[in-house]
Amino acid sequence: MPVIETRGLRKSYGGLQALKGVTLTVERGQIYGLLGQNGAGKTTLIKILLGITKLTDGDARLLDAPAGTAAVRARVGYLPEDHQFPGYHSGYSLMDFYGQLYGVSRDDRRRKIPATLELVGIAGRMHSKIKTYSKGMKQRLGIAQALLHDPDVIFLDEPTDGVDPVGRKEIRALMAALKEKGHTIFLNSHLLGEVELICDRVAILQRGELVREGTTAELTAQKGVFEIGLAPGQTFPEAAAKALGYAVRPLNPAATLWEAGLGDGQSIDPLVRSLVEKGLSLRHLVEKKVTLEDVFMSVVEGAEPGTDRRDRKATAVGGGNR
Amino acid sequence: MTQFVAILRDSFREAVDGFVIYAMLGLSALTIVIVGSMSFTPAPPDEAFDTIAQRFNAIIPERGRSRALSFNAGNSFKVSGVAPEGGGYRLRLTVTAQPLKAAPEAEHKQDGKDDKTPPGPKDVPGADSFRAAVAQWAGAPGKAVELDAGGKAGKNGGRKVKVSTPTEPTPEEQKAIPTGEMEAFIASQFDTQAGMTATATRVTDGVAEPTYAFDVVTAGGSGVRGWPHTTKIFFGAATLSKQAPLGVSLYVLEDWVVNGFGAGVALLISVILTAFYVPNMIRKGSVDLLISKPIGRTPLLLYKYVGGLTFIFLVSAFTVGGMWAVLGARSGFWDPTFLVLIPVLTFAFAILYSVSVLVGVLTRNPIVAMLATIAFMFLLWLAGKGKAFVELTEATRGAGDEGPPGWLVTLVGVTNTVLPRYRDLDTITSKLITDGTLTAAEAPLFSPAALLDYPSWGATFGMSFAFIAVMLALACWAFNRRDG
Ligand SMILES: Nc1ncnc2c1ncn2[C@@H]1O[C@H](COP(=O)(O)OP(=O)(O)O)[C@@H](O)[C@H]1O
Ligand SMILES: [Mg+2]
Repeated sequence: MPVIETRGLRKSYGGLQALKGVTLTVERGQIYGLLGQNGAGKTTLIKILLGITKLTDGDARLLDAPAGTAAVRARVGYLPEDHQFPGYHSGYSLMDFYGQLYGVSRDDRRRKIPATLELVGIAGRMHSKIKTYSKGMKQRLGIAQALLHDPDVIFLDEPTDGVDPVGRKEIRALMAALKEKGHTIFLNSHLLGEVELICDRVAILQRGELVREGTTAELTAQKGVFEIGLAPGQTFPEAAAKALGYAVRPLNPAATLWEAGLGDGQSIDPLVRSLVEKGLSLRHLVEKKVTLEDVFMSVVEGAEPGTDRRDRKATAVGGGNR
Repeated sequence: MTQFVAILRDSFREAVDGFVIYAMLGLSALTIVIVGSMSFTPAPPDEAFDTIAQRFNAIIPERGRSRALSFNAGNSFKVSGVAPEGGGYRLRLTVTAQPLKAAPEAEHKQDGKDDKTPPGPKDVPGADSFRAAVAQWAGAPGKAVELDAGGKAGKNGGRKVKVSTPTEPTPEEQKAIPTGEMEAFIASQFDTQAGMTATATRVTDGVAEPTYAFDVVTAGGSGVRGWPHTTKIFFGAATLSKQAPLGVSLYVLEDWVVNGFGAGVALLISVILTAFYVPNMIRKGSVDLLISKPIGRTPLLLYKYVGGLTFIFLVSAFTVGGMWAVLGARSGFWDPTFLVLIPVLTFAFAILYSVSVLVGVLTRNPIVAMLATIAFMFLLWLAGKGKAFVELTEATRGAGDEGPPGWLVTLVGVTNTVLPRYRDLDTITSKLITDGTLTAAEAPLFSPAALLDYPSWGATFGMSFAFIAVMLALACWAFNRRDG
């Protein structure tokens, strides 16, 4: 049973279509990354799932209940983007307040709050007023409050916003640990490198539409292009490879690294076998990958420039472009 | 339940966060200290009973039950032999009355043949000003006339008071007054003028009419509401009054200063202070955090509303309760009706806060919420003033007097039907405090509310609750409808 499921999800804010029929499925135990430019509709999607915003059309389900059911929210943790905690709370008292709203028992609160704050690294300041926290501390507190009640699903909207690189690494480690414990994590981010490092599945949202979806490996695999390197001093048999039907080209001027492109239905094996038969020693063989950033940029650049510009204007009017 | 308590505690934390609340509590504490600096020194019994007896020329018809007051200046009352007895005092009250003079015959007047002075009016046996007073006391009030409060202007705020002029009893009626009726009159005067139960026994030995004497035994001494006191403030530094009855001082403080002025200020401060709560809660960046928790928006908003009320309730309980306690301790007179100001203030605030919450949800702007609520408060005050004018004009209107203008009556009727019953709430409060502090004779002189009937409690609270319910329903509806 999927944890999150949307079908043909649409949302318009007045004349602005923030989501234009989004269909996606998130399975239990995954870290799912939703990528997209500012104003793509990522936050809107999460808000619909949590019942903060009402959908215009389509279907959205969370933990097998219609999105927005109050009872289901007890099993969900949420770190909103640009959150503002009430400054009159301390980190501890805020967690205590939210814990009560989540129905966490007094004993559990007493035990879990310091532990969770310890986990995100702000336990030392937990009794200071939030007004005195730095942005990074507030973000960590935001993550802590999303974890306190041991939720099944955790929504993190730009979780590393305002956090320094060391902190980001810690947060990534935390997400990995949470996944280990069986939590499902839904992550909104525009930081592609980060998502690539941590997510099992990725979707790219472009102006309200899902343009790519798949496992991180699937998206970044460039099917049929290999990098080949032979032992020092050996020469790559370019003509023989071409005769076998591979599209080959050297990757550096010294011609120590070669790229071999496969034809349809072709495998790399015949080339490898022929190299061995020629007495050459294979030192490097890897299927060439692209980074998520490459994929993302190709998607963005693929959009018609005119459309893009008009849409940018529309989003700016909608107030979503920060 | 846990969620409710959690939001109450959160509201409380929010409330005690800024310095405003400490300023407010400081103001409360200061008020309590100032009230506590008041001293009430009872006049010595001889003097006190003499002062009380001087008020006996004021008569309340219908055996003290009427709202009208009339004056009969003919008698002089003298107190002697005051001695403590039981919980009260024993004393001798001597009434020296003016005999009723029969007007000289008409023929006599015209008969000016000789220069002899015309014969003076002759006394009518068995009729005098005291018997007339007793008859007027037992009878119905007469036509109302307006009397400048004159000498009492200071205490009265210069108000004109209406007094009744009962018809002069006939000599036959006066002669027929039995002793028992005189005794009842005297006892009633102690009750209505001093708030003191008393029994009076007429003494006839060696006392000839038109002088009357009564042995009076009172229950209750200097703690009764009509006992003259010297009232000082700022720990004796300033004298507020020398011979004013204790109840009058307390009434002026409780109804005029606290209920009239203090309550208005307190409500204004509360409205300003609480206008921020709901807009802050639903501010962008804050609201998502809360409504993503497993709590509905309607309970969230309602709990928040109750949180604001609870807070104001605690502040009023502290302030009014504190004043009540020090006032009781300082004066020895424990007036429980003063405490109704705690629920009354909370309720009045509940009305205002419902408006503040609605505007806050609609605009998300605390300043707009605050100004709109203050404007609404002003509207209620204006509607209340209009109603007060109409009510008091009606209540004190004589037979030939013109009533209030028709358009005003209509306007007041409409506004006070649509709006919460703010004015009626105030009338109820004033009447309760009046009943709790003033004697029957002082009430119509000092308390305008004493001239009115109790407004219907059911309608007052019912209509106001209905108004609150409508405001909150609209607020919840608007909150549920919005995206985030
Ligand atoms: N409450 C709102 N009212 C009107 N437009 C909105 C509202 N929230 C978001 N939008 C618009 O919807 C689009 C998607 O916004 P959002 O979901 O915040 O994007 P992202 O999170 O991907 O940056 C943007 O164009 C934004 O301006
Ligand atoms: Mg966003």
